[in-house]
Amino acid sequence: MAQTTERRHELRTLASYRPGTKALLVIFETDCPTCQLALPYLNALAKAGVQVIGVSQDSAQPTTQFVEQMGITYPVELDAGFTLSRHYQPQSVPTLYLLDETGEVSRTLVGFDKAGLNDIAAALGHSVIAPANDGAPAWKPGCGSRHLEPHAGEDGAGAAEPMLLRRVAPPASRVTLSDDEDPFEYCYREFGDALPVIPPTAERVAVMLRGTELAPDSVIGRIPPAYGEATVEKIAANAVMAGCKPEMMRVLIPLVRALCDENFNAHGVQATTHFAAPLVIVNGPVREELGFWSRQNVFSNVSRTNSSVGRALQLMLLNIGGGRPDGIDMSALGNPGKFSYCIAENEEENPWEPFQVDRGFTRNDSTVTLFAAEPPRGVSEHTAAKAEPILRAICQVLATVWSYRHLMNHEALVVLCPEHAKTIYNTGFSDKQRVRDFLFENTGVPMRYYAEPDGGEGTQLVPHYREITIQGERCYQKFRSPEAIKIIVTGGTAGKFSAVIGSWVTGPAGSQMVTYPIPPAMSASRKAG
Amino acid sequence: MPLTLVHPGNESKPQAAPAPARLQSLKGKKIGLLDISKPGGSFFLDRLEQLFRERYEATDIMRVKKPTYTKNAPQSIIDQLRTVDAVVEGLAD
Repeated sequence: MAQTTERRHELRTLASYRPGTKALLVIFETDCPTCQLALPYLNALAKAGVQVIGVSQDSAQPTTQFVEQMGITYPVELDAGFTLSRHYQPQSVPTLYLLDETGEVSRTLVGFDKAGLNDIAAALGHSVIAPANDGAPAWKPGCGSRHLEPHAGEDGAGAAEPMLLRRVAPPASRVTLSDDEDPFEYCYREFGDALPVIPPTAERVAVMLRGTELAPDSVIGRIPPAYGEATVEKIAANAVMAGCKPEMMRVLIPLVRALCDENFNAHGVQATTHFAAPLVIVNGPVREELGFWSRQNVFSNVSRTNSSVGRALQLMLLNIGGGRPDGIDMSALGNPGKFSYCIAENEEENPWEPFQVDRGFTRNDSTVTLFAAEPPRGVSEHTAAKAEPILRAICQVLATVWSYRHLMNHEALVVLCPEHAKTIYNTGFSDKQRVRDFLFENTGVPMRYYAEPDGGEGTQLVPHYREITIQGERCYQKFRSPEAIKIIVTGGTAGKFSAVIGSWVTGPAGSQMVTYPIPPAMSASRKAG
Repeated sequence: MPLTLVHPGNESKPQAAPAPARLQSLKGKKIGLLDISKPGGSFFLDRLEQLFRERYEATDIMRVKKPTYTKNAPQSIIDQLRTVDAVVEGLAD
């Protein structure tokens, strides 16, 4: 009871607090990236009439700047002398406190957590406020609470010039070259990978920007590992360098959103010693509209659209993300896909539903998918007339993903060529899920390979493995679930060559495949509007 | 005629943090050993802990472990490490 009285007393320090009704307090710092991410989401609740109060641990000037730049619409007050912080004792910020009508805390949410925000919204009778695929991560830890810092005095220390996760950024700098400077050599030296690029002149970038209705200064995402701001203008500059056409901006914007999705974990993908490179998979009507290639040589240098979109992604990772192959990108052997790694599904030759349907979209949706991928491993099978021998050939390659005795932690993309897909479909596998189940149930590593305690990779994890019998042999099962095996159909209609592409570390502890919708062409959306 | 390019890269300026003063001795100091969850990391840190205790008389050793080596340490881990005098991060591979 004493605590309740005291808490009510503390709440009276907030001029905007209205007792007798539920309230949501959020304690934050202006220079905390997680606070900058989280606080705008609460505008929706404030707009719906919920009593939301921001409590800033910083002084007036940075707090005012924060409110303006983040577009905060609910009252924000200063935590003078850290009075409220010392009372509620958040260990990190942001921390949200849902107060009941008496001022008692009924729920606490630490950091940025979409599921938690949506739960709080539901508890207040409101619908989802943090959609899954809005480009923000599902979860992001916060920063240490200011009141716990050793120098925290009685007044909010404040951050003089907070580095805000702003939604708009200043224009990119202009670089003027002297007449005797070769622009190609300059860009090769300053901005390129190991191949020449088209100089991103102000004129070329202006033309590229006609491919989007978004403002050039809009920040689409922050690309790891340097977390550079990918503004629309900088995306356009890299698109120019890669040889893209303006209409490809329609794909590059959601591609950057996918890249910055915390589930994809581009930070780890870009810094690992593994082979992983982001593989772009394009589905839907956009393939024909923009000329994405999905037939012979689909992984090769056959199409300007595939090659330039894949290269634009790689240039953005280098230039904006800072993942330079001679620096923080520590891949031991690298991956030729780091020049460009972009394919489209050959949906016309796919007897099953196209891949974007597996990813929760309809066949009429255009999508872009990112997978942290090794290079393709070939699977040749030219004599089998039925599905099973083809699938068993694929199982043998699937069994070696990552390392043959390391199981359960990885995923794979099975790339079926049209001839194999047709044979598989016509000889008993008219349901794609059955293909996935067969591959799952028939991919394993014989237990005899673990007989000698030689310390090899994966042998220490045997207690976690599942036993299974495959063609009479006791094995450990390779994958943790059928869903760890993704299946697409692409490539030319002649040639019985499929491929298996191994993953990096997967699941919440690694990189998860992400799929984002590609909006309709501008003209179409304008007509619709 | 001079050519004008649009800067395509990250133009933010990283802020350097000053290095803390070097410890003159490890005797009686609290040492944090951060395991990033790579296979084999614990063997390396076990040996390091033994050396700290036997050779340098650092008797207060705090072992903490990241949930995954693929991502940044969560705030709770960083908060724990704020309480020590020095940290050794056990990178693997």
